[in-house]
Amino acid sequence: MNPMIGKELRQRMRERRGWLLPTLYLVALGGVVVFYYYLQVTVRRPWDPRGLQGSEIGAALFLVLTYAQLSVLLLLAPVFSAGSITIEKEQRTLTGLLTSLLTPLDIWWGKFFASSLFLVLLLLSSLPVLSLVFAFGGIGPLQVLLATLTTLFVLGTVSSIGLYCSAFFRRSVHATAVTYAAIIAITALSAITFGILMARWEAQKQVRTAQLVAAGTPAAEVAQIPETPPLWVRAPLYVNPYFLVTLSFGTADDWASDGVPSLAVFMVLFLLSFTFAVRQIRKGGEQT
Amino acid sequence: MISIREIRKRYDGTAALDGFSLDVGAGELFGLVGPNGAGKTTLIRILATLTRPDSGQATIVGHDVTHEPAAVRALMGYMPDVPGVYQDLTLEEFLTFFAEAFRLRGAKKRAAVERALSWSGLGERRRAYVEQLSLGLKQRLVLARTLLHEPKVLLLDEPATGLDPLARIELREQLRSLNREGVTILLSSHILSDLEDICSRVAFIESGRNVAGAGSVLTLGEQAKREALTCEIEIIGDAAALRTALGSYAEARVLEARQKVFRVEVTGGSQGAADLLRHLVTGGVTVVRFDPRGPDLEDHYRNLFGSKTP
Repeated sequence: MNPMIGKELRQRMRERRGWLLPTLYLVALGGVVVFYYYLQVTVRRPWDPRGLQGSEIGAALFLVLTYAQLSVLLLLAPVFSAGSITIEKEQRTLTGLLTSLLTPLDIWWGKFFASSLFLVLLLLSSLPVLSLVFAFGGIGPLQVLLATLTTLFVLGTVSSIGLYCSAFFRRSVHATAVTYAAIIAITALSAITFGILMARWEAQKQVRTAQLVAAGTPAAEVAQIPETPPLWVRAPLYVNPYFLVTLSFGTADDWASDGVPSLAVFMVLFLLSFTFAVRQIRKGGEQT
Repeated sequence: MISIREIRKRYDGTAALDGFSLDVGAGELFGLVGPNGAGKTTLIRILATLTRPDSGQATIVGHDVTHEPAAVRALMGYMPDVPGVYQDLTLEEFLTFFAEAFRLRGAKKRAAVERALSWSGLGERRRAYVEQLSLGLKQRLVLARTLLHEPKVLLLDEPATGLDPLARIELREQLRSLNREGVTILLSSHILSDLEDICSRVAFIESGRNVAGAGSVLTLGEQAKREALTCEIEIIGDAAALRTALGSYAEARVLEARQKVFRVEVTGGSQGAADLLRHLVTGGVTVVRFDPRGPDLEDHYRNLFGSKTP
């Protein structure tokens, strides 16, 4: 086994946050479940003569839980990854690693494995909470599995970006700040960009529809204007973690049209940050 | 064992090393001396494969530090000026991790850790956390760590920094003992008396270059005593008699003359000094003090660098 992994895990589990974070994380998720269930059963629904259906609670609760889980883990991922190489620089232990027979890839893998493993631990520990939705129906095990796997995929990429920042910067505070900036870019900025492009496309569509109607174009032809936004509008969403996780509820067609490109974008981000991180670790002797 | 040829390294346009060259033989305990910013740390980091030189070549046991870093790391142990430790590991865990990092497995790994604990005298504290050690013991632990894979060459950058006098004495003894076991050691230190005490030779570096002239490498210790000695001679009576006697003795050279006290360099080591004393006495000079000494590192440093801090 890579000796870095054993050392990293030993050190992480000796930190107070090794047991405090999973506790707080599960309490937070439990709180989300209780709060959301309370809202669902107490809010009056005069518009819905059928009354509240269990499967609707299940589906909505699962979506809320998945988003809440992803949000918390996106906040935690930089804490584990962005400081993992800078801490070696700060406590001057990186020279010891670089002058041993460990390769930069060994160092990267040890750091990545240990920082990701903790997030996986959190993710797995929340499975019983997620499984509560089975009691309401509307969600199957496949969707739970897909949501977990896509969340893992996103976290792996974010950890890889955090490790690159950690290899690049000398101080943990800088690496962590830039990693959070990257997370904001792929979540908020991508959503805002999508919103702007979508509004523009909607406006163009309305103008085009008006032009066709004014020109006396048959209604059948006007109806052929596509309802789904084109690729250039959807593209910013491919880098958005919430979009990828939402695809857990999608059909096979959704996966083919949007899921695969989104996975590819995350894979490219992962590979780029991995490659640059390993290269940066190799040059790390100049920084220590 | 260590060969450095015309090595150069610049940082942001400033030359840290500017064509420095050096040869360290197998089994030597070699010192590196120079003022602050002279390039000592950069040189040692290049040898430790942490920094790539801009030009020039450096080899350790025949392996190029730039092109064969893995081979060099397998043969070399490096201790930086501020050695880092993992405070939250026990001593045994710390050493075991580095033994594994040097690809030692199974019985070899356990033997290496035991040897390091025993060598450092920290065996009884193997289950203590590193953070519980004093600075001196941490230095000792890091030195033990560098020996896990039994390197042929040790590179030590200011190893005595921050140590109290007792810890410095212990460190000197440990380095002597390692050197006796055949480990070649190159160390930089600003504590000249330590270097003078343990090194066989010392190289001087200034502004990234070898100090010009014959003074760039100084031989110390027993070897030096076989080469040239500086004798302080005090007489009573006429100083002219001493001048005449010294003038007719080819192996001696007057360095300094103050009334009745002369500093004279004599070749031939201890035998040369004894011959000079006999020559003076038979030449009618009344000698009351005759004090032959090997080269003095502090004097040499002062001559080369003036008041610059080592």
